[in-house]
Amino acid sequence: MRKRKYILILQLFLLFVVEGAIVPWLVPGSWQTRIFPHLVYVAILFISIYDNRHTGLVLGLCFGLLQDVVYYGALIGAYSFAMGLSCYLMGLIFRVRQAPLPLMMIVVMVGSMLLDSILFGTYRLFELTHQPYTWALMNHIIPNLFIQFIFALIVYVPLRRELEIITRRRSPEEKA
Amino acid sequence: MLKLFKLLGNKRLFILLIGLILFIAVMGVTLGARAGLSWPEKFVKDTVGFVQYVFYKPAAYIGGLFEDISDLHALQEENEELKIALAHYTRDKARFNVIEQDNKRLQQKLDFTEAQKKQYDYIWKIAQVVSVNNDPVTNTIVVDIGSREGVREGMAVSSDLGLVGVVSRVSNFTSTVKLATTMDARDPNSNGIAVTVQGKENDVFGVIESYDSTSGTFLMSRIEDSTPIAKGDTIISSGVGGVFPRGIVVGKVTDIQVGEYGLTYTAYVEPAATFTDWKELFVVFTPEAEKE
Repeated sequence: MRKRKYILILQLFLLFVVEGAIVPWLVPGSWQTRIFPHLVYVAILFISIYDNRHTGLVLGLCFGLLQDVVYYGALIGAYSFAMGLSCYLMGLIFRVRQAPLPLMMIVVMVGSMLLDSILFGTYRLFELTHQPYTWALMNHIIPNLFIQFIFALIVYVPLRRELEIITRRRSPEEKA
Repeated sequence: MLKLFKLLGNKRLFILLIGLILFIAVMGVTLGARAGLSWPEKFVKDTVGFVQYVFYKPAAYIGGLFEDISDLHALQEENEELKIALAHYTRDKARFNVIEQDNKRLQQKLDFTEAQKKQYDYIWKIAQVVSVNNDPVTNTIVVDIGSREGVREGMAVSSDLGLVGVVSRVSNFTSTVKLATTMDARDPNSNGIAVTVQGKENDVFGVIESYDSTSGTFLMSRIEDSTPIAKGDTIISSGVGGVFPRGIVVGKVTDIQVGEYGLTYTAYVEPAATFTDWKELFVVFTPEAEKE
């Protein structure tokens, strides 16, 4: 079970690398400044729903920090804060064991909105952008939401199966 | 009042508030100019940068291949254009050599100091892109040369087409480039770039301070006299101020309007660089930076 967990974290890291190095090549040129899906975030949302929200919080904080440090443009902490908080909140609100597919898709959609909105709020707070929220909504939040939704649909079956194996093996241990 | 204290007794809420304060403090500290990165940041940046490099290279190769195939029909046209450009180049080279010699001789006669002579000897070092973050507010790319090669914060970065951005953070083997599209006049940490018009360097002065993301153009402000500028003119950096190197192409003028207060003019400049499908970039090393 330990090993499985490490493999999962390694997979998340690979996803993070793919997100920065390969995804920009798959997006058509004119959309490249508008679509930048947070694939790792979607995967962590799955973890905070199907495993538990505290794991989601810690993973969100860590991978957000990674994103912040590697792409350090203006400030550190924006992604870390947004990913940690929104993963935790999503896990807190949708506290359903064995959430079905439609519910998970709603979680992904609401979560995407929440993440990008928190990010935008942080940038507004530190005066990095002066655009209105409606601009951000039309420019990148909604396109991102769709791509993340499609990604969630693709990974739903394999990721859920993997998480089920991890949680099933752990549950007797926790009871003991 | 008592209820309020009870609310604070809620452990979860307490941790959330502490976390919020902590994060705002971290963001505030890391915002803006810093003396350099701390070693954990450098370590993480270099390690991740290396892994990303392994992934980015093949992706860029395959992406480039498809692009080349789709560009195949334009090959003949491109060939013709290149031939014309080559003819121009051979003609200009002779002229350029004469002017350069003259310039050197005059500098000698006027007792230029060594530093003054070498002021414009820029070195353009090639750098491979490693990864991209397309977040429109903090749009950055990571390139594979760092402080080991002598990169320093604030260096200009250009693609083969034109200005891309400025190096924002440097670690040992990688550096992060903040794209010019994140420039904002109201942000105290974003410096303007002194620019002029190619071919009218002595007549025009302007500053590019911000990027308008709704129209996709740079705003070249503080132009005193707009008469020499025409639509379609190429805007280049002028090097006035000494920080930013001169002669980097920024873009083409699309429109000229009266500025905010009616005293100066503002030109809208369409970027020359495409800001998509990153491959090789050039980091411009200025001689002052070389010395240290």
